[in-house]
Parts: sequence; structure tokens; C-alpha cells
Amino acid sequence: MASADKPINTDVPEKDVFALHFLQSLSNLRRQNTFNSPEKTNDRVKKIKKAAYVSMARAAGGTNRLWSRALLRRAAKENNKIVRFPRRKKRVTCLRRRSNRRDPVEEEEAERLRNLVPGGGGMGTSKLMEETAHYIKCLSMQVKVMQCLVDGLAPK
Amino acid sequence: MDNELFMNTELPPPSEMAMHFEQPSSSSAMLNWALMDPNLARNSPPQDCFMWEKSTEQQQQSIFDSALSSLVSSPTPSNSNFSGGGGDGFIIRELIGKLGNIGNTSGDICGAPMNGNVSRSASCYATPMSSPPPMMNRTAPLTEFSGDPGFAERAAKFSCFGSRSFNGRTNSGIPVNNGEIVNSGKLTRVSSTPALKALASPEFASASRPMIPAGDSPPKLPGEFSRKRKSVSKGKSKENPLPAASPSPSFSKTAERKEVSEEKGGKRRREDEGDEEEGNKGTNDTKPPEPPKDYIHVRARRGQATDSHSLAERVRREKIGERMKLLQDLVPGCNKVTGKALMLDEIINYVQSLQRQVEFLSMKLSSVNDTRLEFNVDALVSKDAMISSSGSRVHESGLRLESLSHHNYNNNSQLHTNVSSNNMMLHSPMKSLEPSALARGFTHLPTLTQFTDTISQYQMFSEEDLQSIVGMGVAHNPNHESQSQNMKIEL
Repeated sequence: MASADKPINTDVPEKDVFALHFLQSLSNLRRQNTFNSPEKTNDRVKKIKKAAYVSMARAAGGTNRLWSRALLRRAAKENNKIVRFPRRKKRVTCLRRRSNRRDPVEEEEAERLRNLVPGGGGMGTSKLMEETAHYIKCLSMQVKVMQCLVDGLAPK
Repeated sequence: MDNELFMNTELPPPSEMAMHFEQPSSSSAMLNWALMDPNLARNSPPQDCFMWEKSTEQQQQSIFDSALSSLVSSPTPSNSNFSGGGGDGFIIRELIGKLGNIGNTSGDICGAPMNGNVSRSASCYATPMSSPPPMMNRTAPLTEFSGDPGFAERAAKFSCFGSRSFNGRTNSGIPVNNGEIVNSGKLTRVSSTPALKALASPEFASASRPMIPAGDSPPKLPGEFSRKRKSVSKGKSKENPLPAASPSPSFSKTAERKEVSEEKGGKRRREDEGDEEEGNKGTNDTKPPEPPKDYIHVRARRGQATDSHSLAERVRREKIGERMKLLQDLVPGCNKVTGKALMLDEIINYVQSLQRQVEFLSMKLSSVNDTRLEFNVDALVSKDAMISSSGSRVHESGLRLESLSHHNYNNNSQLHTNVSSNNMMLHSPMKSLEPSALARGFTHLPTLTQFTDTISQYQMFSEEDLQSIVGMGVAHNPNHESQSQNMKIEL
């Protein structure tokens, strides 16, 4: 039952993939009429932030990662869109629930981590760690992309 | 106390049992055995195995005495056997038969001392201990048992020790020659307590192989064996290991294990278990404790702690530890920190900081005059191929020019500072591009695509590459067009 110790895969695509997705989403945002005009910057900020996360999720994980799926699902819910993911080979989330995967000792910190990482609530602790690693990588990549963009576009 | 009971308890020959049966200090067990013929020599101090009898209240003495007398006085043919001294099996059988009757009358009596024993012994027998009274009220099982003399012996002796063991022996069909079974070294035949059930399963599996060659196995063994194997090979299966159906001829081993389990409580270290078990058993089980398991087939180590829980726990912890190491490499500055809690704190902080950065940058982005953000998506997409193809070229050239840029680069101090910082060098070329881009308007696709090109490609670069490119751009005349063209050529 215990799977073999196959290496944990936490590869993320290159920066350009992230950049591409992000720029695409930004341009889509720009096309919206409501985007440019308003003075309420909060809205724009939120939209841009959401676009950033969504593009990151698409670029990095697609539907292969639990956190990206959770993120996309959450984002789609906000837009009142229904997102359908292709069925995975294993019912990952349901299978693990019954196993004794939580240990009260380490659960406090794991709880905080679960709140941070999207989709953390449905994962066991070991899976959570994996997802966190991938999430961190993707986040840092996205931050780099955005930094470049900001620096490139910053008005002098 | 009960443990000691079992520790010293080998299956005594029936005669001994007969003697033990009539301990004067009454207890419920005494009820079983005290019903023996008072003619039988009262044995001196009970062995340790019967210590718990002493613990019971003395008040029951009178009741038992009365019961005893009633039994003895009842005219049955079996009574004649009592004095006979031989055929103790019959004696016991009859006793059990009588027990049924007496149980009906003095079931409560049995109940009380039972509970007293329970409270005092505070063992895992607590639950099973409470059940014998109802059992004793049933005559049917007792009569059924009496058919098998060997079994009757055992039942009589241990009927109060636990319902589970009782049932276990019910199903087992123990042959009469107990000694053989004991010596066959069926070490891991654990019977009764729930605490040992899980003990039984891994031990069973590990020791089953040596057991099989020992022959003389009860008929149930092969089936149990296969089942145990399955449960062990599942590794962390929580399925209930063999019920007490597995007979435990070697009660001594059982006692040892029970003692161990009680001493150490629920979870214990596997190594300790293994050592102690080895010390205690020291018999045919020559298999050393299992080496660290491979992950595909989690083998139970010998003397595995209570259940598959700890097995699963251990594997799980190893997995988590492995991933923690992975995370440690990712999160900067985590090498010094050791320990799961601190590591997790660091990780959490890092994730939080990253998310805050994203938010901050998105704020900045929103405030940027983002007319330039109207990219042509098609252009972007079509640039993908170019990006990937030219990326390699750029890298080479970038590396080549790195030295150049470092040396020649004095013109613009601002650029200097920008160069040092991360990706800040984009400022000047970007600035130069801006007016050009704006001047042309957004319909001029080449500029836009160029822009996106450069952005995307810049992001591919390392700092050194960007420095070099910027250096190139600055080294040539800061002519906007030529600059962009140069950059394009470079790219």
C-alpha cells in the first residue's frame, strides 16, 4: 500500500511561461472597459492580483497540481463560473481522508500552512508539504515576473 | 497482576490444576476451582498465577464455601471421581457443569469479585473480566465445552480471565496434549487482549514461517497465517488482526507480551519491543528484527508496537521529513533552522511574504500607466517560438558581452545602480522605448511585439545577461531606434 519512494516532482516551468500567461491576463484585463476608467484603485488591484494568481496557476500547475486546481476553482467561483476539471486517475482527495494522516503534534503549524496554501484543507500533511514546495516555487517565479514588469513599466 | 498470572502459567497438568482449583481464599475464580473436592489436598500458597485470587474480598469466602459445600454434597456420579484423583478432566467437566448451575444462583457473586478484580488489576482484562458473569449464567456453552476434556480444563482455568480468551479457546479445538503445543514454539499465538491483537498480527506473520516447520499447528494456522500476511503486507491496514480465535497455547508468551504491552502502554518503540520480545521468547523465532522497511511492502518488525498504527505513523513521518528537507532547500535561510516546528514557521513566513509581495506588486502594476499593457495577444503567442529559439543565442551573446559591459560601463551612474539591483537595468532601455512606442501608437505592431519580446526575453535572462545587454545598449549611442534595433539584433 505504501507507494515506492518515487522522487517528488516539483518542477516549474520557466519564467517565460509565467510571463506569457500573466501578460495575457493583463491584456485581457485591459480590454475590459471598466478597468481603465475607475478611480477606485482597490478594484483594479484586486483584479490584477487575481489575474496574477490565476495566470500563475495556469502557467505552473494547470490541473495537475492540487493547489492550482483549488485556486482556479476558487477564482471561477468568484466569477460565478463553473470550472470542470478532467477526472484524475486517482481520487486523490477522497482516498486520503480516511487514513490517519494528521498528527496533533504537528497539526498546529500544518493548520497555518493549510490556510495559506490554496486547497490545503483537503490534503494530508505529506501531500501538503509537496504542494507547498511547488507553490513556493511558482510564487517566487511569479513574483520575479511581476517585478520585471513593474520595473519595466514604471514611469520615471 | 494478571500479567504475572500469565507469566508463570504454563499449562499445568491437570492434576496441578485440580489442586489449584481449591484455593481457599475466595474469588470468583475460586468459584471455579474451589468447587473441587475438599478432599483434595489443599495446596499451599497459590502460585503467582493465582495471586489475583488473593486480592479479592474475603467476604466472599463464606458464600463460596456455601457454594462449595452445595456442590460437594450434591450427589453426582462425578463426585466419586473427585476422590478418585484420576480423570481430572472429568472432574473439571463436571465442575463446569456445576458452574452453570451455580452461576445462575450466584452470578452476582461472581460479578462482584470480578469487578473487584478488575478494579484492582487494572489491566487490559478489565473489559473481558466483566463479561464472565454473564457467561457463567449460560449453561449451554459450558455443557458444550465439557465435551472436550482438554478444552474443559483450559476453560475452567481461564474462563474468568477474559471472555475473549474464552471464545478463542472455543474456536480453537485445542488438542489435549497441551505440552506439545507449548513446546512447538508457537510464540506469537496471542489470544486475548485487544492490546495484543496488533502485536499478534505482525508477530504472527514474522514468526509464522518458523512456526510452520515446527509442524504441529492447529488447523487454523494456515488460514490465520494467510490472513496475517495479508494484513501485514497491507502495512498500515487498520483491520482488526486476528480475533482471539487464535488459540494461545503458550500462555506464558502471552503473559509476557501482555506484560510488555501493559508496561509500555499503547505506543512503544519498535526497537524496545523487539529486544524485549527477543529476550523473552528466545525460542525458535530466529528472525532478527526486520530491517527498515522498504516502502513498497511495509513489513512489520518483530515485536511491533501495538498495531499497524505505529507502522503507519513511522512511514508517514519519514515521508514528511523527506518533504521537509525539500522545503528547506527552497526556503532561503532555512539551513540553520532545525526541527519541524521552526521549519514550518519559516516556511509559513516565507509563503506569507511571497503572497504579500504579489499583492504589493499588483498594486504597483495597477498604478502604472498601463496603456502599454494592451498587448496583442496573437503577437505574444507568435513570439513564443522566437523567444525560445532566440533565447539560446541571447544567452551566449550575453555571456560573451558580460565582461565588456563590466568594464565599459561608466556612462550612466543611474544604470550602474540599476544594474546592481535586480532587473532594474530595464529602466533605461524601457524608458527609451517608451517614447518610441508611444510615438508610434499602438498600431505599430513591431514596436509592441518588440516590447513584449524584450520584456519576455529579459525575464529569461539572468542579471548578468541583462547587464550585458544594457551595456550594449548604452555603449552604442543612446539612440532610441538604434538602441532598440541593436537590442533586436542582439536578440
